[in-house]
Formats: sequence, C-alpha cells, structure tokens
Amino acid sequence: MTTTMGRTASAGHSAKSPLIEKLNVFTAFGLGIILAVVFYVLAAKLIPEDTDAMLIHTKHDQIILLAMIGWFIGFMVGIGALIGPFRWLLGKDLSHDENMFYAGKDLGTKRYFRYTTDHKVVGIQYLVTTMIIFGVGGILAMLIRTNLGNPEGGWIHPQAYNAIVGIHGIIMIVGTIIMITGPFGNFVMPIMIGARDMAFPRLNALSFWLIVAAIPPILSSFFLGGIMTGWTAYEPLASESPAGMDGYIMFICIFAISTMVAGANITATVVRMRARGMTWNRTPIFIYGVVASVALALPAFPVFFLSQIMSAFDRAMGTTFYNPAGGGSGWLYENLFWLMGHPEVYVILLPAIGALMEMAPVFTRRPLFSFNVAVMGIAGICGLSALVWAHHMYMSGWAPLLNGPFMLTTELISIPTGMLFLVLVGTLWRGRLWLTVPMASIYALLWNFMVGGITGIYLSDVPADGALHGTMFVTAHFHYTLMGAGLTGAIASLSYWFPKMTGRMLDRRLSWVSFWMVQIGFNVAFMGMFLVGLAGQPRRVEAYNAMFNRGNMVTTAGAYVIMTGMLILLFAVVDSWRNGIKASDNPWFAKTLEWSVPTPVPLENFATLPVVTTDAYGYGKAKS
Amino acid sequence: MSQETTHAHHEHPDVVGSRNRLGVILIIVADVAMALSILFVYFYLKGQNVNNMWLPAATEEVPATVPVSSMGALYIAIISGFGMLLNRYALQGAKAKNQAQLTLGAMIAFAMSVIGLVYQIQQMNSAPFTMRMGAYASCYYLIAGLNALHLALTAFISLGNWNRARLGLYKTDHWHVEIIQVWWIWMTVSAALGAFALSFT
Repeated sequence: MTTTMGRTASAGHSAKSPLIEKLNVFTAFGLGIILAVVFYVLAAKLIPEDTDAMLIHTKHDQIILLAMIGWFIGFMVGIGALIGPFRWLLGKDLSHDENMFYAGKDLGTKRYFRYTTDHKVVGIQYLVTTMIIFGVGGILAMLIRTNLGNPEGGWIHPQAYNAIVGIHGIIMIVGTIIMITGPFGNFVMPIMIGARDMAFPRLNALSFWLIVAAIPPILSSFFLGGIMTGWTAYEPLASESPAGMDGYIMFICIFAISTMVAGANITATVVRMRARGMTWNRTPIFIYGVVASVALALPAFPVFFLSQIMSAFDRAMGTTFYNPAGGGSGWLYENLFWLMGHPEVYVILLPAIGALMEMAPVFTRRPLFSFNVAVMGIAGICGLSALVWAHHMYMSGWAPLLNGPFMLTTELISIPTGMLFLVLVGTLWRGRLWLTVPMASIYALLWNFMVGGITGIYLSDVPADGALHGTMFVTAHFHYTLMGAGLTGAIASLSYWFPKMTGRMLDRRLSWVSFWMVQIGFNVAFMGMFLVGLAGQPRRVEAYNAMFNRGNMVTTAGAYVIMTGMLILLFAVVDSWRNGIKASDNPWFAKTLEWSVPTPVPLENFATLPVVTTDAYGYGKAKS
Repeated sequence: MSQETTHAHHEHPDVVGSRNRLGVILIIVADVAMALSILFVYFYLKGQNVNNMWLPAATEEVPATVPVSSMGALYIAIISGFGMLLNRYALQGAKAKNQAQLTLGAMIAFAMSVIGLVYQIQQMNSAPFTMRMGAYASCYYLIAGLNALHLALTAFISLGNWNRARLGLYKTDHWHVEIIQVWWIWMTVSAALGAFALSFT
C-alpha cells in the first residue's frame, strides 16, 4: 500500500494518479528523445536546401540546433518542470499535498529520479551528477595525458584529440562551477542558516534538471565532429567548426540558465531566510563564499549566454556578429567570453575557500581568525574580478593601451586573495590541530593556491605573458587554481559533510590514501607541466618536440597517480555510503546549525526554527 | 549558536511575497546584464565598423542596408509603458479590494502585451533587410528578438495574472500583481533601451 498525495491507493484501487506522479527522469529522457527526433525530421524536411550561391551554409546547423531545442523542451516537459508555471497560469495552485509530493515525502529513493524540490535531495542529486561529470572529464584527461606520453602522440587522431581537449575543458569547468555550490550549497546551506528549505524550491529543482538536460548536447558533440576550439570556443574559429559546436552552444545556454536560476534562488534564500538572530556578523563564512560565488555568476553568465546565442545565430542564421566579412569581430567574442570567464574563476574558488575557512575553526578548535578580514577579502575579490577580464587578451592585439590598467587590476586582486590566506594561516596558528582530511586539505590549498596565485602574477604581467601565453605554463597555472585549490576544497567538503548527507562516516583510511595520492600526483603532474611550459611547449597540441618529452612523461605519470587516487576516493564514497560506520549527529563537534539537526535530516530540517545568539566559532582561544 | 523556541511552519503572506519579489528582481538582474551586453554588442560593432560593413553599401547582387527608424522600437516601449500603467491600475485595484478594477487592468495589460508582441513580430517581418546583411542588421534582429522574447514572457505572465484576478485569487494577497509590476517596469525599460540604441545608426 502506498500513500500518494494525501489519498491512499491500495492494490486494485483504480484511482487515476495525477500527472506529477507519473513524471520522472525516464519520462524526461523519453520525451526529450522523441521531440529531438521529431524536430530533426521536420527540420530536415521543411528547411530549404542551401544553394551554391549562399556564402554561408546553415541548414545542417539549423537542423542540429532545432533537434537539440526539441530535446530540451521534451526533457523539461517530461520531468515536470512546466507543471508549476502552467498550474499558476490556470489559477490552480499546487495544494499542500502536492507540494509535499514534490518535496519527495514518503517517496524513498524514487525522489532522486524526480523533479523533487527538497533541497537535501537536490544536494544529493548534484553530488552524484558532479561525480559523473568529473568521471567523464577525468577519463578525457587521461586520454589526453596518455596521448602526450610520447612526443609523436599518434594513437589518437589529431581531430579526435582536439575534440577531447575541448570537451574535457568545458565539462571540467562546469563540474568545478557546481562542485560545491551544487551539492553542499544545496544540502547544507539552508540548514546552516536555519531555514526549512530554499526560497524557491521548484526553481532549485529546475536548476539541477537543467544541468542534466545540458549534458546530452555536449556529449553529442563527440559524434558531430567535436569541439575543435578548446573550451573557450573563440570566434570566428567556432563558426567554421563542425556541428559539434552546436552541442557546445546548447550546453552553455542551458547551463547559463541553470546558473542564473540558482544564483537568484541562493541569494534570496540567504538574504531573506536566515534564522532569527543570525546577523551578517553571525552568518557562517561558508555562506559568504557561496553567496559571493552566485552573486558573481548572476550577472556574468548572461553575458556568456548571449555570446553563445550570437554564435548560434552566426552558424545557423548567417548573422555576422563575429564574421569580419560582414562587419563582425572576433574581439567582440573574446570580450564577452572573458567578461564571464574571469569572474567564473572566482565563482569556482570562493565557495571552496569559504568551505575550508568554515572547517578551519572546527579542526583547530579556535575561532576564525578575523572574520571581518575574510568578508572584506571575499568582497574585494568580487569587486575586482569584474575588472580584470582583458588580461586574457593581451596577446590578441585588442586595445594595447588598456594592457597597463588591466595588469594593475589583475595584480591588485592578489591583495584580497592574500587576505583570505591570512585568515586561514591565522586560524591555523597555535590552533589545537585535529588532523583530518579536511584539515590537511587546508594545508594543501595553501600550497596549491600559492603556486597558482604566484604563477598568475607572472601571467598578469604583460611582458612575461608575451613569452608564456599559449604555453603549457598557462595550463598548469589554471589547474593549480581550479583543481589544486578548488577541487581540494570540494573533496574536503565531501569529507566534512559526508556524515550529515549520508549518515555514514567516509572511510578514514581510504580517504587519507586518496588525499595523498591526489595531492602528490597533482603536484608532480603540474610541476612537470610548468617546466615544459617554461621551456616553450605550446598547449593544445597532440605532438611536440622531443625536448619536452621528459617533462611530459612526468606529467603523465602524475596524472595516473591522480587517477588512482580519485578511483580510491570513488570507492571510498560508494563503500562508505553503503557500509560505512554510522555517524553521530555531530561527529566533528562543530557549532554551525547543520550539526544541530538529527541525521538523517528531517524533511523540513527543524521541528522548531532556531534562534541564533552567538557566532558559529566559539571554540575558545588558541594555545598561548 | 543556540536553538530556542519559535513559531509555526506557516509564514505570513508579506514575508513570502517580499521574498518572491526579491527573487524576481534578482532574475531581472541577470536579464539586465544580458540587455546591457546587447547594447555593448551594438555600440561595439557600430564603433568598429569592421570592413565598413556596419551598414554595407549596395553591390551588384545586394542592395544597401538601410537602417529602420527607431520609432518602431519606441512604439514597443510606449506599448510596454501602457501595459505597465495598466498593471499598476490593476495593482491599485487589488490593494483596494476592487475586483472589477483589478480584473479590468489585468485584462487590458495582457492585451497590451499581445499587441506589443504582434507589432514586434510584424516589425521584424517588414524590416528592409535580412539578418545576414551586415552587422547593423544582425544587431537589429538581436534587439528585436530580445523584445519579442520579453513580450512573449510578459504575455504569459499577464494572461496568468488576468486569469487569477478573474478567479478571485487575489482577494487576500496582492503580491503576485505587485511582482508582475516589477517585471512590467523592466519590460518597459528594456524596450526603451533597445529604442535608444537603435536611434544611433
């Protein structure tokens, strides 16, 4: 006997179940595929053939893009995303029972495959999806590194290699953008601020399922000629690339909508739903990291969205935004891309650093060193990150007179970044260290981000960038920041909040083994990459001069160590989730609100909403 | 931090309403970023005039691209402005518990959004160039497309607003109408920005 939306249905009872009970991920994929095929067939039949007289042939791109739009519409209808808006339109608002059904009440594991609105379910959905994204991106990374194991490359066709590099890049960027804000921002953040859910639960589910809808288009690009442009998809090269670019465009457009929706939701939640007494000075620093991240993304991703809409129009409609022959400009694309692209680095980093600053007091048993400096550092990074985009374009020839000012703003951003370092080091100083994986991750972040940050200063310097631009040095630099700092923060977050999310402790031994393998492998791999970059090896090449062989071998060996460490972590997560030691409600003896609720966390988090009377870092003083 | 007693699960409509309004404003912030980016695209390409192809001269095969009057775009902004005023009239009705005023205002606001949408599509169809004819033409369709998208969304929202007003769902709570008013304001401003840009040819 199952309970469905406030009425009881027993065997043999023929009550017709409402539409929202029937929709799930399978109906979404089914309807998405059907509509994609229908759109494809109709477009192929109805769109006139390109003629030889036409300068730009667009029919193929029109068909592909329409098929992808069909997929998108079908998927969103099939998952039930449009039920809420149309019920609102009809004046038939969802009842309490229907809302409870949407929240996944009494649905067991089925709720993870539905348009479920409970923030904890969305957090778990994000966690699993992020791991899948990293899995795909990681496999591609290993293909790249294996191919670079010898100077001739060779076993992957150069075009396939380009496609792998492009898809690896963009998939990993998206993975790192959502890796903390998605799983932990959703699961932990509302509880941490003392709320029963997000401000807009249906938008929360929407933001997640949009990401799921975005994945097939990018994967389809493998079969449509790939992404030949690297993750940046510079124009006009992108317009001349195979139809795989259409997958990239669709992926970015859907992902940008997801990011905008999530940004508005998270910001509104934090601004309006903090517990009574939780003043801004008592709001945990992790919340600042998450809000700063989404607040940066909120205006940045629409710019990226627009850049891709214009790419789509150039490819499919023959517009000339980026085509110089028709009055367009490749520099326009570069500006739009990096207006998003550089804030996006901090969209990734701020939640990671915020999470580690949140953990530092827990594992040093002392207050966060200078909370106000931490907040000022985050705010400073937010402000300056919108003023540095053109340092990616020094060598493009765009506005040489602006190189100096952009060099200045880029180097200025190291000041608020240094403030965050100061807070972490100050918290560790004379703390009573409890050496766990999250604790060790703070040290790892300090080292990795220091290397990434200092090499970034060289790249922000116009003369040095003249020599280093387009080399493996750049690749190593951004891996040190996004992976060495960002991903380290995400793995620490997983280790720290795993007990609250799953009710089990993450296997201690395996997580330590994984930590050391990943960190050692990472530093070996990317130090090797720095060396070949300094020696002049260009990036995005599938074969290289024999003089770079040793450095590349080192990097490839390091990559295999990372892969092994990641596989161990994956095993630890799966095994601990199923068979791990049961966790107490507060295994770390932490003071933020998420540890005050029982595990598993009840549907509405709190039986009674908390009232906050102090900050979250009252661990006493450091050792004198 | 400490946990103490608190209140029941149900929130006051004003708390929910003001939160929803903030959410809509934040989504509009994202839309503002996109609209400003479109203006950037327009003025950047106009300023660069790459290969003199902002407004291409006539060739043997293709006539010269003649810019359209920005009055058409201005009319869209004016229609949106009327829609905004009518929705405001409806909002005043909702606040005053005047059902007839609420329904009438919401209905005519919906009609304005449809009129604006139809007029925008008609303008796009009657433009004396295709979107392939140079950077100006591409930008014109981009701005017009954004207007059309906004108006389609506005029509959907306004239809729902009118229907809900008609069903008497706003008897105790005017927040939906107020939030829709925020959208109408942005609709009008974005249309005016488009008209402003198109006045520079």
